[in-house]
This record gives sequence, C-alpha cells and structure tokens, in this order.
Amino acid sequence: MKFGGLTALNKLDLDINEGDILGLVGPNGSGKTTFFNVVTGIYRPTDGQVVFDGWDITGFSPQAVFEAGISRTFQRSRLCLELSIFDNIMLGNFKTHNLGILGNIFRRKAFHKTCAEEIEKAVELIRLLNPALVGSIHRPVADLSMIDRRRIEICRALIGKPRLLFLDEPSAGMTHDETNQLMDEILAMKSDERRLTIVLIEHEMGIIGKVTTRCAVLNFGEKLCDGTYQSIVENPLVQEAYLGQEVTEDEV
Amino acid sequence: MRSSKDFFCCAGLAFALFAYLALLLGAEEEWSIAAYVLLGVVVVVALVALDVFSTIERLVQSNERTCQALMVLGTLGIIAVFRTDHYTLFLLGTIFIYSVAVLGINVQLGYAGVINFSGASFFGIGGYTAAVFLQHTPTPPLVTLVLGGIFSAVVGSVLLFPVLRTSGHYSALVTMAFALLLKVFLEVSEWLGGPQGLALPPFKFLGINFAEDLVLFGNEYSFYVKYDLVCLLLLVMTFMFVQRIERSWLGLAMDAVRIDETAAACFGISIKRWKITAFTIGNFVIGVAGALYSMMLSYINPSNFTFSDSLLFLSILLLGGIGSIWGVIAATAFMVVIPEKFQVIQEYRYLIYSAMVLAMIVFRPSGLLPRKPRTYIAGGLL
Repeated sequence: MKFGGLTALNKLDLDINEGDILGLVGPNGSGKTTFFNVVTGIYRPTDGQVVFDGWDITGFSPQAVFEAGISRTFQRSRLCLELSIFDNIMLGNFKTHNLGILGNIFRRKAFHKTCAEEIEKAVELIRLLNPALVGSIHRPVADLSMIDRRRIEICRALIGKPRLLFLDEPSAGMTHDETNQLMDEILAMKSDERRLTIVLIEHEMGIIGKVTTRCAVLNFGEKLCDGTYQSIVENPLVQEAYLGQEVTEDEV
Repeated sequence: MRSSKDFFCCAGLAFALFAYLALLLGAEEEWSIAAYVLLGVVVVVALVALDVFSTIERLVQSNERTCQALMVLGTLGIIAVFRTDHYTLFLLGTIFIYSVAVLGINVQLGYAGVINFSGASFFGIGGYTAAVFLQHTPTPPLVTLVLGGIFSAVVGSVLLFPVLRTSGHYSALVTMAFALLLKVFLEVSEWLGGPQGLALPPFKFLGINFAEDLVLFGNEYSFYVKYDLVCLLLLVMTFMFVQRIERSWLGLAMDAVRIDETAAACFGISIKRWKITAFTIGNFVIGVAGALYSMMLSYINPSNFTFSDSLLFLSILLLGGIGSIWGVIAATAFMVVIPEKFQVIQEYRYLIYSAMVLAMIVFRPSGLLPRKPRTYIAGGLL
C-alpha cells in the first residue's frame, strides 16, 4: 500500500486462522491501522491480495467487505454522537432490516415489530458488556463515558454477527483498569462465540500477552515476526524496534 | 394519552398558543403588533428561564398524538376565526405550503446532509408542471399535484450525478448553478410564458371550484378557506410522511450518512443510495407544494422562484432547527408573518432574515425547537 511516495505497507504477509485472537503490535506509524483500512476497503491496495475464507476480496468496497462478514471498530471512536445508543448499535445490523423504503413508511405495524425485536437483540448484547446501560439505550451516545462508548462500538461491530472482527486500539483514551475490564469482557464474549476471529491492535504488551493467542509485529509497514507472545517478546528484532538498538561499549 | 390531567394541560396550552396567534394575526396597527411580538418573546424567555419550558416539552412528548390533534384543531379554529379575511387566510395558506416545501429540504439537508440551494427551483418546477398540464390537458388538478412532485423529482435526478460526484461546497455550487440555469431558461422560454409566466385555472376537486367563495348556510366566506383546508391537509400528510421517515430505518441510514460517511460505509450502508433517496423524496415533496401554491396564486412566473427564495427555505430550516419538524413549522410561520405584518420592514426583510440566521448560528445553533433524539414509536421512549 503506497500513498504517493510513501510506502505504508510493504510485503506484509499475514495469515489469520479462524477462531484466533491475533494481536497486532508495532510502533506508531508502523502500518497497523493502514492494514485494517486496506482489508476493510477504505483504502484500495496498490498491490497485493486480501483473501478471506477462500474469497479474493481485494479492492472490495467497505460495504461489500462488511457483507462478506468483516466488521471493525475505529481507533478514534466513530460513533454518531448525537444518535442514541440503540441507533448506533442498529447501524451494525442495518442490512437485516428488509422492509424496503415504502415498507418502512407505510407498514408501521411490521416496522414496530422488527423494531421491538431489534431492541431485544441490542439489549441482550449490551447486557454482556455493561448491564447498567440497558435502561438508557435511547439516550444519546454523547452522554457516555469513554469506556461505555468503546463498549457500544464493540456492540455495533458484533450485532451483525461478523466472522472476523477488527478492534483498533480499543484501550485508547482509557485507564489501565478500564482497559483490563474491557479486555475481560471481550474474552468473556469470545468464549460464547468460538468461531469468531479477532484481530486486535494494542500498544500495551501486558494486554497482548493476556488476551491473544498469536501476535504479529509490524515496523515501517513490514512484518518483523509473528508467533506466540513469548516468542515475539524474546525476539531481538522486536526489542530493537521498540527500545532502539542497544548501545555497544565500542561506541561509548 | 396518560391521564385526563395531562389532557387538560395540553388543551390549555394549545388554547393559549392559538389565542395568542389569533390576536397577533388579527392585529393591524404596527404598535399593537410590536406589543404582541414583545409579549410572546417575554413569555417564552420567562418560561425557559423558570425551567417550565422543559416540563412542557416532556408533557408534549408523552402526549404526542393528543398534542398533534390539538394543533390541527387549533389551526382549524384560526381558519374559522378569519373566515372572511382574504389576506390573513392567504398568509395561512402560504405558511402551510412553505412548511411543506421546507420539510422537503429537511429530508435532504436535515437527514441525509445533501445541501440544496435550489429549493425554490424545484418549487417552481412543480408549479410550472401543474400549469402546463392544466392548460393543455384535461388532467384533474389533484393528479397534477402528484405530477408536479414527480416532475420535480425527475428533473432533480439530472442534478444527482454532479451532486453525488462532488461534496461539501462543490455540491452546493452545483445546486446554485442549477437554480440560475433554470431561472434563465424559464425567462426565455416562449412556451412557458417567458417572464410573464402562465395563468392557472383554480384547483377543483369533487366538483368544488376552489376559486369561488365558500357559501355555507347562506353565509359567504372567503374562497381561501377552501385552499387553506387543502394546504393544511397536505401539511398534515407531509408531517406524517416525514416523521415516519425519521422514525424508521430510513431516517437512521440517512443520519448515519450525514454524520459519518466512512463509518456508515464500513457497516454496509450505501452512501449513494441514501443520498439519492433523500434528494428525490425531498424534491418530490417540494414539487407538490409548488404545484398547489401556483394554483392558489392562479398564476406562475419566474420571479416567484428566485435564488433568494431558496435561501429563505434554508434559513427557515436553520432557524427552526435542522431536522426538527415542529421547528420548521414554527419558523415558517414566523418568517412569513413577521415581514407581512410589519410593512415598514418589508424592504429590509432579507436583511432581517440574514441577521436572524446569524444570531441563531451564534447563540442557539440547534435552532428554535431543536431536534429531539429519535424515538421510533409515538408517545413513549421507544
């Protein structure tokens, strides 16, 4: 993936297995989010291939990628702040509302029925993450705290029952305790949905170690290495990328 | 309806509101009009300051259907009070029709975020369509209303391509260019009457001629009573239509497209589809309003649909609160009545409109009656 003369992702070769939680690590600007944007169709790759479940989805529109079963959250929360919690979650489920334009306007009974069903679904999902929010699903998202906004974003990504979920730094802007809490919730939810595959961008290595089954490290748009958490932490290339090169005695 | 106490509160409020409006509309000397306007402003400010306004809002929200019925009833009452007054009845009809047109703009800009600086052009297309059909064919007037809407939507679809290809300022410029093109075209077109425009036969329905005075039990009332009833009916229908758009998945999709295109796209919502839908629905509504308006005026010419009328539509929307249906109606009433009542300011009207819009943007950007968070079913929280 190139932006003008800048190569943001170069020869990145990454396999993700079904049911995995893959941690994507790397310094700022190493191409983690760009990778998400390429896969979800926001950027069209200049070269290379994205294959999902045997399908070539390279260059698909974001809509088509979503329909293939890939959903995501964003690094900087992209909830519609003036809309209610329920509305925001419903966006993730929009395609299932098959009433048509006229049906929505003139078949109000049918609409109210689907609406009641959807509320039930949304409430079920919210209850998994934060039961305290169940009573206020018609309040605007703007009233919520950062962690609750993240939760709603995760609900929105999950309600469409995706098979692959991208979480782009869900801990951004939250305290250490809040992050841990959110990760526990994600793990609990994952244990209900065994086939769901998650790719998680995260800076905090402790969390990567705790949550993921496999990790990949990016640097300057290239993959440094991948493997288990232990293997990447011990990898000297990774240490160098994160901590800088060790100064040898000769240079001093 | 929750309880009879609520009902009487709503009825009392509605009565007070319409009594005030009747007094304001009936006032003729400028000092008394100024006094009424001042009174209205003081009462509203006091209600807001004493926090009574939010109580009223809650009351209205939880008794929504009742309040809507009361508003229609009150409006009928106003029409009855001014049953012989051509001028006031004409003003009322204008308010109803302009509200319908601005509700069309509201679907475009308020929901899907498609800016339209050529609202008055689509209003005019509806009017010219009705004029041509009524002059050259035996089409019933009711059908020409629908045809006006359809033509307006079809002409609008020509604009869709450049509007969708561009965004932000550029699509605003595209609609402005279209408004100018259409005006020049109408002025030079011999067939459409050039600058003199066309004359229209009156609206007729079920054998009732809407240009003849209404005779009931031997008493004669202004023919505008009939037009007002039709215009009010159109407004009520448009109100329900637009409210149902908002309270359905359509409104949700349009909101998502307006607020964050990228996020909407990532959840499978087609940006183009919803922009096209909103633009077309909006133009249809504006076209129907234009067709009825030209029948009420009984003539149509290009100077009725200038760029400043398009700006007026947009300023009404800004003033009332973008996306707010009641806000649109209140702001239309204000913008139509005040300049008509204060003849002295007539020539400064655009100056005053602009100053009010500026003040609004600075002090209360969400409008007079800001849009409420969406509820899907009337009356409750749902």
